[in-house]
Amino acid sequence: MMEDLALAARDKCAIVGIGKTEYSKDSGRSTLALATEAARAAIADAGLSPDDIDGIVRCDMDRTMPVSVAAGLGLRRLHFWGETGPGGTAPSMMIGLAVAAVLSGQAKAVVVYRSLNGRSEDRFGSPSGPRARAGGFGSYDELYQPYGLLTPGQHFAMMAQRHMHEYGTKQEHLGAIAIACREAANRTPHAQMHDKPLTMEAYLASRPISLPLRLFDFCLESDGACAVVVTTTERARDLAKPPVTIRAVAGGQPSDTRAGMMFPALSRGDVTDIGGRQAAEELWRRAGLGPQDMDFAQLYDCFTISVLLQLEAFGFCRAGEGGPFAASGAIARGGSIPINTAGGNMSEGYMHGLNHFYEAVRQLRGEADNQVEGAQAGLVTSGLYPFGSAVVLGRNA
Amino acid sequence: MILPFTEDRDTGPFFAAARENRLVYAACEHCGRGSHPPAPFCSHCREPRSAWQEASGKGRLYSFTTVTHQIHPDYPAPYVLVVVTLDDNQDVRLIGRIDGDAALEIGQPMEVWFEQVADDVTLPQWRPASA
Ligand SMILES: [Zn+2]
Repeated sequence: MMEDLALAARDKCAIVGIGKTEYSKDSGRSTLALATEAARAAIADAGLSPDDIDGIVRCDMDRTMPVSVAAGLGLRRLHFWGETGPGGTAPSMMIGLAVAAVLSGQAKAVVVYRSLNGRSEDRFGSPSGPRARAGGFGSYDELYQPYGLLTPGQHFAMMAQRHMHEYGTKQEHLGAIAIACREAANRTPHAQMHDKPLTMEAYLASRPISLPLRLFDFCLESDGACAVVVTTTERARDLAKPPVTIRAVAGGQPSDTRAGMMFPALSRGDVTDIGGRQAAEELWRRAGLGPQDMDFAQLYDCFTISVLLQLEAFGFCRAGEGGPFAASGAIARGGSIPINTAGGNMSEGYMHGLNHFYEAVRQLRGEADNQVEGAQAGLVTSGLYPFGSAVVLGRNA
Repeated sequence: MILPFTEDRDTGPFFAAARENRLVYAACEHCGRGSHPPAPFCSHCREPRSAWQEASGKGRLYSFTTVTHQIHPDYPAPYVLVVVTLDDNQDVRLIGRIDGDAALEIGQPMEVWFEQVADDVTLPQWRPASA
């Protein structure tokens, strides 16, 4: 039988540096300026210099190109660059690409970044003015946009409606997720919603956007950037901060995969069937750990329903029970699996999920604002459409 | 109104049929499973034998959302987006829009109608089936 290299790769690489910019509604700067600032901060946090960086990984929706970031950082010997996506599915697979580059000898130290002016420049689902016809060329938008199905929020609203129909999930269940993220942000000074508490009453009274989803079921629109540095765990031991090891990475696809990015998923046999289910199965096998071993989970939170589906997919509760589980207090501070401990995309800032790695590393170093005492291992997930990907991180193996 | 690109090699025939007030869907000639979006290969049995089938125009409401936050000037809120599973083939779910608010129930019977939105573009739309 072939040697299982996924098991051999366990904890061989580590995240050694993290960096971020301010998260805001209007950065007033280019995404290249943001990406460079975050990457410089991550390199410095590791105790490295740009001369040590020979790899760059980005998200395929980023406006900046690796060559521009290499120029911005003043790199001299770049040997590896790569990109993956789409969108929210990217961050965990970006870490996977960095690990692949390091373990195959193509790079020694890789910067992974995400930069966006998601509020001041590129708002998702905004009207694009006079335009050519929608879709074609494998986008499949021609089958959806002409009907007025224009945004991820409308898509996820129909998933939520279906989940409510099948399992009796209630509005308050989704509210519990929004509030858990907000309470974490309230304890995190850099979070965009740090000073804005959220009650269930205020959640239920919030403006309907695409029912059953309301304003506070949506993530933020943010400007900013975030970056991490990946190298070998062996090298990490000589660097500035305690290494946070990458125990396992896995992606997964849904059981009824349809071509296209997001809207075609509405034709899946079960619209609540997300790639995270398969990713989880493989991730736990590769990690030799399970959901019960996680001290926290940073779950990709474009919407509250996304978190609920991933609580089920990654085995924190059974299929259909995500609502009552979320409302039980399990996901809040002091619960069995605190989620999105800096507030996540919903209340910290929308760095398309790479911010979840920033926070997970802080937790495992013991330097988080909203610290989970004695955290030893944690889960980070990335997206659920069209695929899902996830990483298990561990403390100083 | 956002008009669809109707000349795509894989999806174009859907719109060509709609111009004739016909609803068609793609299904595998080998195993019968449907593809939506239409695909040149069958993801179930992997045969490259996809063909266009005539649909009855009947379906069931799979899910919906009432859009209250307006995104595009040509789509005034509120409107309801519906996802309908074809009675003819459970693998195929299509989108429709009902203008204004509507009291709907998942599982209810739906029927197709054809909305001409431009000289050369007709969209299959869905509404609650008449009794
Ligand atoms: Zn087939």
